[in-house]
Amino acid sequence: MSLLTRLLERNLRNSGAGARRLYSNHAEEESSATKHEFADEEFRVLNLRSTSQATQQKRKVFKKEPVQPPRHQKMATDQDWSAVWPGPRTFQPSVVPLPLRQGYTEKGAPPPSKFANAELMKIPNFLHLTPPAIRQQCEALKKFCTPWPKGLETLENCEKRFPIEIKSTDYCHALPTIRNPEARRVTLNIKLSDLKFDAHAKDKFLRLVGDRYNPNTGILTIVADRCPLRKQNYDYAMYLLTACYHESFVTESWESSKSEADMEYYSFERNKSKQSAEAIINWGQPVEEAKKLNADHGFAQSVEQLINEGENVYNLGKYKEEVLKLLNISK
Amino acid sequence: MLGRHSFKLPRLTNMCVAYSTAAAEASVEQLYNRPKLTSTDYRTAENNTKQHSAVHEGKFYTLSPEQKKQLFSGGGLPRQYEQQIKTFTEACLMVRPTSLELLNYIRNTDFTRPVVRYVLYGENGVGKTLTMAHVLHYGLQNNFVLVHVPWVPNWMKRPKETVNATTQEGFIDLPFDAAAWLVHFKTQNANLLTQLQLKTSKDYVWTKREATPAGSTLLELVEHGIARIKFASETIAALLSELKQHANDDKCKIMVAIDGFNAFFHPETRILGDNKQRITPDRVTLTQPFLDITNYNWKNGVCVLTVDKIGMTEGYMDSYLPRYLLGKEGFEHLDPFVPLHVDNYSDKEFASCIQYYLDRNWIQKTPEGFDEQLKYLSNKNPYTLMRLTRSL
Amino acid sequence: MLRSLCSRLEPQSLICAVTRGMSAYSPHYIEAIFSKKKQLNLKETDEYIKLSHLPIKAAKNDDSESIFYNELVNKMVNYITKGGNKKLARELLTKSFECMKRVQIERMNLNPESKDTIIADPEQLLIKAIENSRPLLQLTAIKRGGVKYQVPIPVTEKRSYFLAMKWLLEAAREKERKVHLPEKLAWEVLDAAYNQGRVVKRKNDLHRQCESNRAYAHYRWS
Repeated sequence: MSLLTRLLERNLRNSGAGARRLYSNHAEEESSATKHEFADEEFRVLNLRSTSQATQQKRKVFKKEPVQPPRHQKMATDQDWSAVWPGPRTFQPSVVPLPLRQGYTEKGAPPPSKFANAELMKIPNFLHLTPPAIRQQCEALKKFCTPWPKGLETLENCEKRFPIEIKSTDYCHALPTIRNPEARRVTLNIKLSDLKFDAHAKDKFLRLVGDRYNPNTGILTIVADRCPLRKQNYDYAMYLLTACYHESFVTESWESSKSEADMEYYSFERNKSKQSAEAIINWGQPVEEAKKLNADHGFAQSVEQLINEGENVYNLGKYKEEVLKLLNISK
Repeated sequence: MLGRHSFKLPRLTNMCVAYSTAAAEASVEQLYNRPKLTSTDYRTAENNTKQHSAVHEGKFYTLSPEQKKQLFSGGGLPRQYEQQIKTFTEACLMVRPTSLELLNYIRNTDFTRPVVRYVLYGENGVGKTLTMAHVLHYGLQNNFVLVHVPWVPNWMKRPKETVNATTQEGFIDLPFDAAAWLVHFKTQNANLLTQLQLKTSKDYVWTKREATPAGSTLLELVEHGIARIKFASETIAALLSELKQHANDDKCKIMVAIDGFNAFFHPETRILGDNKQRITPDRVTLTQPFLDITNYNWKNGVCVLTVDKIGMTEGYMDSYLPRYLLGKEGFEHLDPFVPLHVDNYSDKEFASCIQYYLDRNWIQKTPEGFDEQLKYLSNKNPYTLMRLTRSL
Repeated sequence: MLRSLCSRLEPQSLICAVTRGMSAYSPHYIEAIFSKKKQLNLKETDEYIKLSHLPIKAAKNDDSESIFYNELVNKMVNYITKGGNKKLARELLTKSFECMKRVQIERMNLNPESKDTIIADPEQLLIKAIENSRPLLQLTAIKRGGVKYQVPIPVTEKRSYFLAMKWLLEAAREKERKVHLPEKLAWEVLDAAYNQGRVVKRKNDLHRQCESNRAYAHYRWS
């Protein structure tokens, strides 16, 4: 089958070539005929193939409109720019009177100029937000504003009266949608020192918030982004703060049975170190005269430091000194 | 006929020329470059450890072969140091500042007070064991009963035999190791014990037929433990409690020296229990007696313990500091103890060590600046220095 | 006919031998001079001006400026190395040195009068052992008239060093499983340093064979 078609094709092609040849012969004949025309004037031509009038008519020539020079050349230098560029708009090379260049080229060559530059058109521009335009808009908005509240002039005052800091971000981008999913995120910051706790509540609160608390700066950070809207996230963050705060004051019944291993820091008072140290001090003395070691004793402090801060050469050295003092060993 | 120089070879390669000249130069250099040694710079004739003071710091003193045999025939010196002693044909120990400090503490100890626990710690190869050896020598010369465990991790890592303990349910017994320790104890203390004539305070009934009655000497107790390996662990427990009792009654002074003490508090041993799981050290019968004797509740004694990184297994070797190595339990057990840091050599000690090595012909190549180079290569670490100099 | 062909081929093959086909460097590269002493020497004699425009090979990773560096020992390490594990080889040689030194020091201590005569420096011992076991002649098979003759030919100095080290190592590797290489190598080196032992015997055997085959020596040329 395929063979057949191929043969057929070849034939067709041959025939086409033949036709072309025929045509070219004809053209030669024509040119020789025109020569005759020049030789003797006023030779009536026998028009055998009477061509229709329509085809005789000349084709309409489309005339291009002359390209206007770019508009910025005509613009006055002291014009009102915000009237030219009142709102957000794609970049127009003819309007913007700046010699902008943008785009990638081979090394050494300058970046493409602003005309027909897709790079410039792609990116969002802020040509409608020039300082005079903003000033103008601010002036217009001013009549709706209320005066700055008294007593909040300094940053310290603000922080004192409004300890909670809320952060959220608006995004401006060139997507078909103006909503950025990140815009719903709400970050709540508060200094822990602004909240009032007792020892138990503070400990519990810190356990509840976990790594949201930064012990270096003393700032608690709650980030809420689980709800679709910013308002909801804000409400949720405030709810979390409130709930954690009040929950931290609740003491459960099982908390009384906390053992030494559950303790978050080492305390000399609670530990065996105290017993053994006291036993050594009171060695060979009657029970009535037994001395007590308090937590503010140098030895106790050094033990606490050694274990709470971790072991290092300095802490060990201090521990050694204190032990020598405690055991009354002379060098 | 075929003499060495019968053929003149037409082309000498560069390499060969370099060899022969280098060899010739080296031999000449070393003959003349060998530093003059004055033995008082690095040696001290003061073999009585009681007299050791800051004057002797950094100097080597000689341990007599008999005392070395008595002290360390059952272990206690690192194996490579033993080899060194054999090569040098003498046992020399350097008087280190840490051991001086420790000896000073021991000399000034009020023996009516509860025992003080001294914990030696330091990086690998700084000489913790040898510091302890020095202190042991002091103990021997000053009539302390020595309770010396050469290397605890040996029990926890590679015991010779493990048996389920008969008396204590769920415990593991190491009869061979226990008996070996009893032998070690006997060689160290046989003379002193015969002098002191310490008696047992109560009857020890081992089986229906075997018993050690009250009033028999401690040596008999020890010998029984050696003869009846099965009861060696219990004998150790009995022996240590008896010793503690006698010390409390002012009949003797005891020096407890345990190397690798942190192995008693290691999270796990390499001993497999009944269900083929690794057991913890507190399930070994040998652990409890030695923990008892390192407790503070007795007097007339001194405890010298070392904590060592290499006593631990992989994953527990991050730091050489005592609290890390002992863990929570171990720290609580020993607290309050005196931590003593054993450090690398100081410049003076390093120079003394180099001189001693030269004296013993251990360093053969002494091109100019060899000691400086060794100092930088070894970071003045005694063990590294020993390893570096072995091929020189 | 064949020989003339060979001779015509020779220069080319010689070039090949010089360029070392697999070398990363072109033949005009010179070896790196890593020793500070030599560098200073060059500076003083103004020879470095000649070298300053020559391309230089990168220094090898076992070249060292340490005062304990010895080229021969380094070479020995290279010969001991198996499968690129040079670290192990160096450790083995170090152990062997330690072993030699211990033996010699113990000998010294047993016999304090001979302190000056006994060499305890292991490097010296190794050098001495190699010097003692270097062959001068070796046998090579040359075919003349359809018969192969074992013809004695002189050994170049470089090859003699190579053979000495190789023999020492072969002798050290020929051992029971229980004995470790460093120990055996130490024994062999000590023996050879005192002009005894299997390696020196091997050298002497070779020399004896060369001696008995000296009638064939002229086949080297004709």
